[in-house]
Amino acid sequence: MEGLIGKGEIRIDAYDKVTGKGLYASDYGNQFPNLAHMKALRSPYAHALIKKLDISKANALDGVMYIMTGHEPGLDWDQFPKASIIAKDETLWAGQIVALVCAETLEIAEKAVELIEVDFEKLPAVLDYYAAIDPNAASVIDPEYETRPLGFSDRPGDRASNRVSPNVVGSFKMHAGDVPAAVEEAEIIVEGEFWTGKKTASPLECANAICRYDSDGGITMWSNGAGVHGVIKQGICRILKIKESMVRIIQPYMGGSFGSRLNPYVEVITALMCLRTKKTVSFQFNREEVFTGAPSNWPCITKVKLGAKKDGTIIVNDYYLAEEIGACVNNTFFSGRLSSSGAVPVYRFPNLRMDTCAVATNTVPAAEYRGLGCPEGEFGIECLVNQLADELGMSPVEIRMKNIIDKGERDAFGELITSIGLKKCLQSVADAVQVEEMPEQDMGVWKKGRGCAVGGKQNTPLGRSEAEVWYNSDGSIQLFISCDENGMGATTALAQIAAHEFQVPISEVKVTKGDTAITPYDNYSASSRTTYNTGNAVILACEEAISKLKIEVARVYGLHPSKVEIKGRKAILVGSYVQEVDIPSLFAPTSMFTQGNWGLQKGTPVIGHGLFCPAPIHQWDENGLSDRVWNWFQYSAAAVEVAVNEETGQVKVLKIASSADTGNPINPKLVEGQIEGGVHMAIGFSINEEHVFDANGKIANANFSDYRLPTILDMPTNDNVHAFINPDPLPDGPYGAKGMAESITIPVGPAIAHAIYKAVGVRVTGYPMTAERILALINEKKAKEAAK
Amino acid sequence: MERMEIKLTVNGRKHTLYVSPDRTLLEVLREELNLIGTKKGCDDSNCGVCTVLMDGLAVKSCTILIPQANGHSITTIEGLEREDSLHPLQQSFIDHFAVQCGFCTPGMILTAKAILDENPMATEEDIREGLHGNICRCIGYKKVVESIEAVRDGEYKESCGEV
Amino acid sequence: MRFDKYFEPTTVEECCSILKEFGSDAKILAGGTDVVPRLKNKIWRPKAIVGISKLPDIDTIAVQKDHLVLGAGARLRKISLEKSLEKDYKVIMEAAGNVSSMQIRNVATIGGNACNASPSADAIQGLITMGAIAVITGPEGTREVAIEDFFTGPGTTVLNAGEFLLRFKVPAPKPGTGAIYKKFAIRGDTDISIVGVGCRLTLQKDGTIEEACISLAAVAPKPMRAIEAEKLLIGKKLTTELVEQVGEAAANSCSPITDQRATAEYRKEMIRVWTRHAVEEAEVRAKSKLNEN
Repeated sequence: MEGLIGKGEIRIDAYDKVTGKGLYASDYGNQFPNLAHMKALRSPYAHALIKKLDISKANALDGVMYIMTGHEPGLDWDQFPKASIIAKDETLWAGQIVALVCAETLEIAEKAVELIEVDFEKLPAVLDYYAAIDPNAASVIDPEYETRPLGFSDRPGDRASNRVSPNVVGSFKMHAGDVPAAVEEAEIIVEGEFWTGKKTASPLECANAICRYDSDGGITMWSNGAGVHGVIKQGICRILKIKESMVRIIQPYMGGSFGSRLNPYVEVITALMCLRTKKTVSFQFNREEVFTGAPSNWPCITKVKLGAKKDGTIIVNDYYLAEEIGACVNNTFFSGRLSSSGAVPVYRFPNLRMDTCAVATNTVPAAEYRGLGCPEGEFGIECLVNQLADELGMSPVEIRMKNIIDKGERDAFGELITSIGLKKCLQSVADAVQVEEMPEQDMGVWKKGRGCAVGGKQNTPLGRSEAEVWYNSDGSIQLFISCDENGMGATTALAQIAAHEFQVPISEVKVTKGDTAITPYDNYSASSRTTYNTGNAVILACEEAISKLKIEVARVYGLHPSKVEIKGRKAILVGSYVQEVDIPSLFAPTSMFTQGNWGLQKGTPVIGHGLFCPAPIHQWDENGLSDRVWNWFQYSAAAVEVAVNEETGQVKVLKIASSADTGNPINPKLVEGQIEGGVHMAIGFSINEEHVFDANGKIANANFSDYRLPTILDMPTNDNVHAFINPDPLPDGPYGAKGMAESITIPVGPAIAHAIYKAVGVRVTGYPMTAERILALINEKKAKEAAK
Repeated sequence: MERMEIKLTVNGRKHTLYVSPDRTLLEVLREELNLIGTKKGCDDSNCGVCTVLMDGLAVKSCTILIPQANGHSITTIEGLEREDSLHPLQQSFIDHFAVQCGFCTPGMILTAKAILDENPMATEEDIREGLHGNICRCIGYKKVVESIEAVRDGEYKESCGEV
Repeated sequence: MRFDKYFEPTTVEECCSILKEFGSDAKILAGGTDVVPRLKNKIWRPKAIVGISKLPDIDTIAVQKDHLVLGAGARLRKISLEKSLEKDYKVIMEAAGNVSSMQIRNVATIGGNACNASPSADAIQGLITMGAIAVITGPEGTREVAIEDFFTGPGTTVLNAGEFLLRFKVPAPKPGTGAIYKKFAIRGDTDISIVGVGCRLTLQKDGTIEEACISLAAVAPKPMRAIEAEKLLIGKKLTTELVEQVGEAAANSCSPITDQRATAEYRKEMIRVWTRHAVEEAEVRAKSKLNEN
């Protein structure tokens, strides 16, 4: 592709970040001399009644400005993001806010929190799916759940009925073909029950917000939350009933998100405190609070049965999934539909039955985490495909090539697959690691093995993105966008698109982002939608500006606009005695004394506005089927070589190859970086990361000492890390681009699982595949063999 | 609590501060000197985001009580940029795409500087050993190591001068 | 306020008198890597913090003719890179180098590692395997305590009110001595140990084990010696079977706990595994020492 698309342009924000000049939300604190500080008192119990809450001593402390409890008047907590609900009489997870203090200094706020007297009465708690699904389980959610009116983010039709336990919320079922008949027909069946652990995305910047009380009663907020327009501003206006004109949200540089910030669990409550105190306030989560008070991912239990012919053709998938969503009270957003979405776009399943639900537990409320449940939902399928290959004597590559769906086919829902580069992805990684061959065993107690897997992730149609482009009177270009820049490089890719449209170097485009007073509407960066959604909006905005410029230039030279090409500062003319024109020279000079009210005027840019929204879904029928459930799919394949220590159970990744089909890459270096980063993240949660609970159901490892995030040592050495881009263009993506990088995380876990099987002969049934679990499996296998 | 006189040289500039001795070096850098390039990540000495150089050695500033820094020389990320160019490590991080969200970047660059200052021929193994106290959630480390190796191998001598 | 007063004594006498005045309300600040996080999390709220960095010779690392002197304030990273320790005190370098990451080791001290008295501590295992002696000073004068008697429980030592740790003396090893420390943690040095095993073997010329020390970390309220396991080795030559028995004995001698890092069962199993490795590798080192002379 000519021009800038597909080029590895240097990030436009890299200079700010390597020099320390770039400001993140918490860096704004110094600018407010009388900044007030918020501090939360959080429940230490998974489930408890608040028998007594006495804030009088705390209130009496000099410097305390306001203390909010669950009985704060004029609020409907049901409308609030789940993780920010202040408990009224009952706390539903260890970490839920019991009282929220605002004081003149952080020290006073912390002291006040210590002075709050609270007595709890512990109640029975359910900490995982198995406890929660019991029909006699303690209830986490409102007993009136089934009859409550639908809320803001509710999906109609996904509310559960005939619930097997009081904690089931949401359900989704679909049936394509005839699964029971196909199971009978199958020549080989593999099945299993799989689980995954609860984890915290742990972006390095803790959640925080600073909210300024403006003199007219409005608020301006700097926060590292996602979705300045679609999530934060709309959330604050709707929940706190404030006029849109009175709310301004600014997103400075953000220290990562991985989905965890898509919920305004800091912003709404901070805005509320700001309005109550009429002061500029700051709410800075500490690291422990990011574990206990900020949303985690949602683990999934899956029960999967695959049936195939002896030649490896899979003919049926009978699939059960439960999302464990934590203390998401009165939830109607989760139903299992999201996590099970990965079961459909990867393989050809002529017969597919999905029975899914969501289950509440007394743990941290769940929210988005890279992959939206697909890494958890697809783990079991990938493990079983590998097992099928083993039992049939096929290679894991061969069986996948046989069953991966092709472009132009319809998946089990009935959707047309318009873009899938997965087979090429699989081949690249398989070759890089030579996954079909056994490695040499030369490491003593460390036994090596290789494995591979694939994954697919949907992009949901998630509303509109807008962009505005200014072609200034001197030829310089400005781009205004509100998508999130979590660090993935979206702003660079979008600037690249604008620069490409105008045929200028990227340095000619200045980006202003994430300020609701200045930049136009965008929902948020979720579901990998930004390159696709906002990218398309940027193209439309550029096209409009260019079209206007063409008209203006054409008018000056008596041409039809179609005879004008805009190339940066130049206009190329066809059919005139003038070949080329310097566009800035056409702008009438600034003057107080010449009255001009039309045409190009110095100081007034030519503006283009673009609005892009994907086509709506097609509501599913009574079998859960529809020809448009999702928008497009991104795919990834991974192959690994691991070493397993037979004495300790430790798993080390020696080699990893990951490949992504994310459509045509706008900037391949950014895509590569996302692949390498995604792989690293997945190694972490596949092998080591999980919440461990104490006797009270509180997270016992809510810190970076004991929550084992992957360090550099968990990544193979550079020569052994391979990232490939195998794009299949998306017809309606900007220049054929899709988006990324969720699919990357999906196949890493199951690839490691199969490599472990090849190394030491044990099959895992879930992750994290910690040393203790692997050693237990190894010992169990030894004991079985000794018994023979 | 009685304040104490603290003399610090930060990025070559001498400062005399009167601060409470119970503050950490991180708090003093960010709140007293407005050097917000050094970040707070876990505040628990695990993530390395707060790394600064104290007399050339990499330390986690969230875990240094300010009296421990009294009389010492501190280098923060703001101290690396030169008059007409960036420090070679900064430029290399940009060129090799070793920056994504950027929150670990200041700490990562300073730790890299400490590694190379002490061991100009640091191997990949040495670099990995030196960096395992710096967590990054975005990059996957490959490009970070490539950036450091490029500086080690002299690729920036001409444009940015000595390390 | 994280504490009320800060002191930085320049003489030992001054330090002792401050410590005597404040008793258990004072905490010593050496490298701060254990103290400062606790101050910030309000786990400790002392009245006084006493910084010892200005005391004379507090960070000494000096190899003498027949012993090694390590000042309480000697930094772990410096110890781990100190070439003069390679010949006779390698295990002390390595154990110090097993602690956390470079940034922590640049400030953390050997005295801090000892006085923090975590049963999982790594650096002091190097000292334990080498039979170090703690030199303690206080208002009543200076006394010496063998390092294994130094620890009294998780976080507690024999230090009385007013006393503090001045330095360690490590006697030079006998000929034919090899020592090693095996730290076991999931993420390597970054993590707090799940278990650790230090071993010192002194061999006679024919390879018979004359002395054995097996020290276990993270499986008891304080660092503990696997006495029964050691006894199995004395007077014997090392064989594969003996190594297995020693590992088994060490595992049986401890009662570890289950916590957020590992279960008790896993810790016991790891003691079995890593005692075997420690003993085998200590013997290799001891043999090479024999060949040296």
